[in-house]
Amino acid sequence: MSIPADLKYTKEHEWVRIEGDIATLGISDHAQEALGDIVFVELPEVGRKLAAGEAFAVVESVKAVSDVYAPVGGEVIEVNSALENAPEQVNGEPYGNGWIAKVKMSGESVELMDEAAYATFLEE
Amino acid sequence: MTELARTPLYAEHVKLGGKMVPFAGFEMPVQYPDGALQEYHFVRGGGAGLFDITHMGQVRVTGAEALAFLQYVTTNDVSLLADGQVQYSALLNDAGTFIDDITTYRISETEYYLCINASNRYKDVAHLQEMATDFDVIVVDESDATTLLALQGAAAQSVLQPLVAADLESIGYYRFAVTRIDGAAGIVSRTGYTGEDGFEIYIPNSAARPVWEKLLANGAKPIGLAARDMLRTEMGYALYGHEISDAVTPVEAKLMWITKLDKGEFIGSGAVMARKEAGPAKKLIALKLTERGIPREHYKVVCDGKVVGEVTSGMHSPAAGGVAIAYVEPAYAGRDDLAVDIRGKAVAAARTTTPFVPSRVRK
Repeated sequence: MSIPADLKYTKEHEWVRIEGDIATLGISDHAQEALGDIVFVELPEVGRKLAAGEAFAVVESVKAVSDVYAPVGGEVIEVNSALENAPEQVNGEPYGNGWIAKVKMSGESVELMDEAAYATFLEE
Repeated sequence: MTELARTPLYAEHVKLGGKMVPFAGFEMPVQYPDGALQEYHFVRGGGAGLFDITHMGQVRVTGAEALAFLQYVTTNDVSLLADGQVQYSALLNDAGTFIDDITTYRISETEYYLCINASNRYKDVAHLQEMATDFDVIVVDESDATTLLALQGAAAQSVLQPLVAADLESIGYYRFAVTRIDGAAGIVSRTGYTGEDGFEIYIPNSAARPVWEKLLANGAKPIGLAARDMLRTEMGYALYGHEISDAVTPVEAKLMWITKLDKGEFIGSGAVMARKEAGPAKKLIALKLTERGIPREHYKVVCDGKVVGEVTSGMHSPAAGGVAIAYVEPAYAGRDDLAVDIRGKAVAAARTTTPFVPSRVRK
């Protein structure tokens, strides 16, 4: 189970990479593993304003439909359109080419965990 | 909460990394570590996929009046069967709706073997035994003693043949042989639920593990419930609890081809005849999304701004995209502007036909 140290994590198993006021969002390795083969990703519209904790994307595996919740609030400035044709990138590279959206942060966020806290959370 | 049953292969599934889930009262593997998609592609791509479907039930019907009994309790015309032939059929209640869908194996004029759904087993057996009191037959539930494997895919015959005494090449589609499998007495039929060539293998529980291991050693790969459902949905095969249930008759379920009203009276025949006259209460249709999305069971079919039906089975088909089987109000069955409501968005769908991908069963 991969948990990169430079990211923050949520209890709903999203990750966020914060660079300046831009946040890149995705789902964790644990999440993709639990979901199984992802066959569809519903991306948010660019320009959509998100509240922290709001469902902003949907990932569908063979058997399950799961909401993805925004770790931080803000405006969607870019989405990973490649996932429309290659949703399996979320399985293969959850922290890389499997990213879902980039958000210009408004400042609010849900409770975020660092690597160690998320690892402990997963164990519990 | 009732305790879940385990098949004789439970430990094998766990050893192979199978993700075990509750299914029809059993703990069954939904997928193995390769994942459902790879398992699906293995079966469609020429491999031999091995499925533990021991949760399904088996009933043996023997006696001088076995044929007359089965003519009365099943929908299909059992008199058309020769020894060694299998028939897809159904059990109806007096209202003409489904108790179950089944396969009927004719071993001899006085001995038949039925394969029934796991979730309906006790209901089916109670019904059959009750009906049997008027006939010279014995109905025996052999489910607990029987392991059922399916081996499906283009390589199935070559993988299975080394274990089986009978010549598989001589077993045609929906035919079977009573034979020995790895030395154990059982039944091998050229049947399945995937749209691929393949076999279903009935063996005593004591033979389950050696047969399972030998088939894997011969190149078969284990396939879980998730891939099984993908494979059957692509074929448009009905599944009890989805397309068929005690709320629909064969007229709605498009199963009049297994309901032979001209064979004489049988349980439910009067009600089915009346339904046929009146027309279906709803129509079963096949849909293919023309926009992105995955239609799933219970999603609503919409048209003219209102709900006109519901998806009974839906999936993302690697070959055909978003596909669904749905019941819709008869007046809307012919419309070319149907849509599926996916999370509040009407996603356009075109009428199509099943199978969604070409069947490769050996006819």
